[in-house]
Amino acid sequence: MAMKRSYLGEFEEIVLLTVAVMEGQAYGVALTHEIIEQTGRSVRLNQIHAALQRLEDKGMVKSEMGEPTAERGGRRKRLFTVTAYGRRTLQEIQDVRVNLWTRMPDPFNPAISL
Amino acid sequence: MKPRNVGGAAFRPPRLADRLLKLFCAPHRLEEVQGDLHEEFAYQVERIGERRARWSYWRDVLGFIKPFAMKRTPSVPLRLAGRFGVDSSSSFLNSYMLRNYFRTAWRNLVKNQFYSVINITGLTAGLAVGILILLWVQDELSFDRFHAKVSNIYRLENWAGTGSSRQIWANTVAPIAEFGKKEVPEVKDAVRMTGNGYFTLFKYKDKVVNKEKTAFTDPSFFSVFDFPLIQGNPAKPFPDEHSVVLTETTAKRYFGDENPLGKILMANNVSFKVSGVIKDFPKNSSIQNDMFMPISLLFTTMYQDRTDGRNRDNDFHQFSYETYLLLEPSASVSSVATKLRNIHLRNKPDDTDLTYLLQPLSDMHLYRADGTNGGIETVRMFSIIALLILAIACINYVNLSTARSLLRSKEVSMRKVVGATKGQLFVQFIIETALLFSLATVLAIGLLYLLLPTYNQLSGKEIVLDFTNYHIWQVIGLAISGTLIASSIYPALLLSSLEPLKALKGKVSSRLSEATFRKILVVTQFAVSVILMVGTFIISNQLQYIRSKELGYDKTHVFAFSMRDMSPHYDAVKAELLQQPGVAGVTRASSNIVRIGEQTGNNEWDGKEQGETMMVRPVAVDKDFIPFFKMKLEQGVNFTGAVADSLHFILNETAVKTARIKNPIGKRFKLRNHDGTIIGVVKDFHFASMRQKIEPAIFYYEPNQMRAIYIKTTGQNAEQVIAAAERSWKQYNPDYPLDYAFLDDVFNNLYKSEQKTGTLFNVFATIAILISCLGLFGLATYTAQVRTREIGVRKVLGASVTGIIQLLAKDFIKLVIIAIFIAVPIAWYSMNQWLSDFAYRIDVQWWVFVLAGLLALSVALLTVSFQSIKAALMNPVKSLRSE
Repeated sequence: MAMKRSYLGEFEEIVLLTVAVMEGQAYGVALTHEIIEQTGRSVRLNQIHAALQRLEDKGMVKSEMGEPTAERGGRRKRLFTVTAYGRRTLQEIQDVRVNLWTRMPDPFNPAISL
Repeated sequence: MKPRNVGGAAFRPPRLADRLLKLFCAPHRLEEVQGDLHEEFAYQVERIGERRARWSYWRDVLGFIKPFAMKRTPSVPLRLAGRFGVDSSSSFLNSYMLRNYFRTAWRNLVKNQFYSVINITGLTAGLAVGILILLWVQDELSFDRFHAKVSNIYRLENWAGTGSSRQIWANTVAPIAEFGKKEVPEVKDAVRMTGNGYFTLFKYKDKVVNKEKTAFTDPSFFSVFDFPLIQGNPAKPFPDEHSVVLTETTAKRYFGDENPLGKILMANNVSFKVSGVIKDFPKNSSIQNDMFMPISLLFTTMYQDRTDGRNRDNDFHQFSYETYLLLEPSASVSSVATKLRNIHLRNKPDDTDLTYLLQPLSDMHLYRADGTNGGIETVRMFSIIALLILAIACINYVNLSTARSLLRSKEVSMRKVVGATKGQLFVQFIIETALLFSLATVLAIGLLYLLLPTYNQLSGKEIVLDFTNYHIWQVIGLAISGTLIASSIYPALLLSSLEPLKALKGKVSSRLSEATFRKILVVTQFAVSVILMVGTFIISNQLQYIRSKELGYDKTHVFAFSMRDMSPHYDAVKAELLQQPGVAGVTRASSNIVRIGEQTGNNEWDGKEQGETMMVRPVAVDKDFIPFFKMKLEQGVNFTGAVADSLHFILNETAVKTARIKNPIGKRFKLRNHDGTIIGVVKDFHFASMRQKIEPAIFYYEPNQMRAIYIKTTGQNAEQVIAAAERSWKQYNPDYPLDYAFLDDVFNNLYKSEQKTGTLFNVFATIAILISCLGLFGLATYTAQVRTREIGVRKVLGASVTGIIQLLAKDFIKLVIIAIFIAVPIAWYSMNQWLSDFAYRIDVQWWVFVLAGLLALSVALLTVSFQSIKAALMNPVKSLRSE
């Protein structure tokens, strides 16, 4: 029986991947800047927070409070890490993609018009 | 560039934004969110400068006003949910469930056709009638409010007279307006208006439009009020004294499609040039007229031959001008009134009993001139009835749906067991009610269309269902949403809070006796019905009383008209008429006896106190006037027609009493400048509406003032008599049509508004009672239904049919009796309130309450017993086999 996979929005996927990439150092501002840099999208802090919360609700990331810094006026940051379930989900997505790509008959040939 | 402080102390993020964040952000998330925001701010200051960073900060904070940040409790990670692929963000309003709610609601409607029909009928009737009444109320309340300056426009009035003859006049003297404008700084502008009695029968070429209402007014009329000229020069509405401004309809009547401007109208051989056209007066305007002439023309005509030195600037004697003042918004009404009084007294020092007062324009329609309640009482009464009718309709729905909750309890329990939350069930039942309501609403609006013509006829209104008019939507929207909310919440709460365990075991009460709330509602419903019934009886009794009360004179078969140029030839006309078959008598007087308009305080008698004024109604009457109307002379003698009669007076009893004259015959009395003696006292007679006390009246003999002729027919041949009168009329007034009226009609017109109110009240009360009964019928049917088996068992065990009917009806009848006891004091109080408005009124009698109570009881009994008898007669075999 094929179990239905949980939905992961495209943006959520990017956030989740970035959290994975930044292993241990992922928190709101850092993630925002990283995503802006990597994707060129204009992302705002609140969107990242919302996505992180959704991911946490779905059990794909977990978080703990980090160290306070001076820039933050002595406030702590919440550091996110990907859970096993999150990793597996990412892996599944990747597998599906790879599978599809490999089955594409002519993957990188541009269409030739006559 | 300023040096950067790593701690961020040099550039603090906007405090206000921070405070805002604190306000809505969940406390357990605040630290990280704020920390991130501050860090981001420091970074942005570096990148784009402080000013833009602040903007960015604001944007970020506002971005957090989203549900995710506001959740007050830390969310538990739903790993399980995630595992099983249930979308955890699903709310109870998701579309599948919504569709399901609609489907179950519809199935329920169709399955229980009987109850659906009862519910929809009740709601439709309630909504339609409620909305109709509210439309009437809205129309009444909208009177005169369309003027942009309405809040600063006042009608100027006078209190005059002393003691019991103190009274209010809505008309003032002419010069006060001009003086006010000149000397009282708060008065920005003034408008005078007075009816036109000088120029009659306006003609265009040969076209005559009779009965148009014409008036003299100031040019400011068109700028103070929102009656702007649509044709003509607004700066100069009346270019000269012989100008006339018409309403659109009047212009159309005279000139058809021709351009009315510059056309000439003739009246009394004087030509008037049409100088402007205004839009027709809105229906909800207290001021209604067809034609306007400049008031300066009236003054010129009136004062040109005067030898007493009176002119338009100093005539403080004639109170015949409606005066409207436009005040500064900040003006104090009472101080303006005082200033005007001082001006008046300066010009006419002996008017010490006179005071001025101002009535807001917006109050003119619903309040009397002295500010006491007028039509507003009917408006209040009808608003209450509308609300009651809507409430009754709601109660029906609530009762039926809660009573039948037993049948739904299993469904509800199943839903709960499967995992429905209370909120979901609540929404489900709200949707069910809303569905039923939408059906009822559509039907109600259809019904409105059907009823509106009849309703307009009954109420004398011209309400149009113009759906582009937002006022209509206000009323309809409020009525429907109010009713929907009132009737959906309780059943939805009740049904959604059923306890599944009990419900599945069948332990939900089904008997009326166990549902206190429902009982209260039924009692309310019937109390309202009884109150309305009592109201209906008392109103119609009072109207009956008014119409049949001994008036003190006999007005049957009498018609009257103003003689115009016929009056010098009265004797000849009278002789001629008396020869006609069907004429029983002819007489004349100075005014209409049903409604004497004139009034004067210019009188004196021996024993009059210093500063005392008695306002009397003077009527010049012919010598046969008293016998003609079968009035009774209490003392003294009648006029004989001798020359000496010009110094003789006949007073009514009230006048004698007010003036405190003992043995009045032969006593001195002075009316205006006639110093004479009292020769008779006539028994009091009603010359005004029964709302008013009989006032002092005085008969005097002055043949050339008796311009109204009264003709009494034998009751047969009335048409021939009118034809004969018309022939004589044409002889002396060839240009004018005869305008006669039977006194009976004039009399009935006095009570037209009461009559209308009475009829409407009857209709509304009947509908309210019918809707109540409909609800009771549904409830009774339901009760009989759920107790089918009980009845079967009882019958098998030997219960009689009557016993069973009693058993079923008892519950309801008890409630109705309680309702009657609650209703009686309320009805008694409110009807006394209504009656107190009449000077001559019936007493509220006990039998009215008994009758209303018995009626309510029998109606309820009838409704209930229909079902009870059916249930009682049923073959127990059938009902028991249904198990």
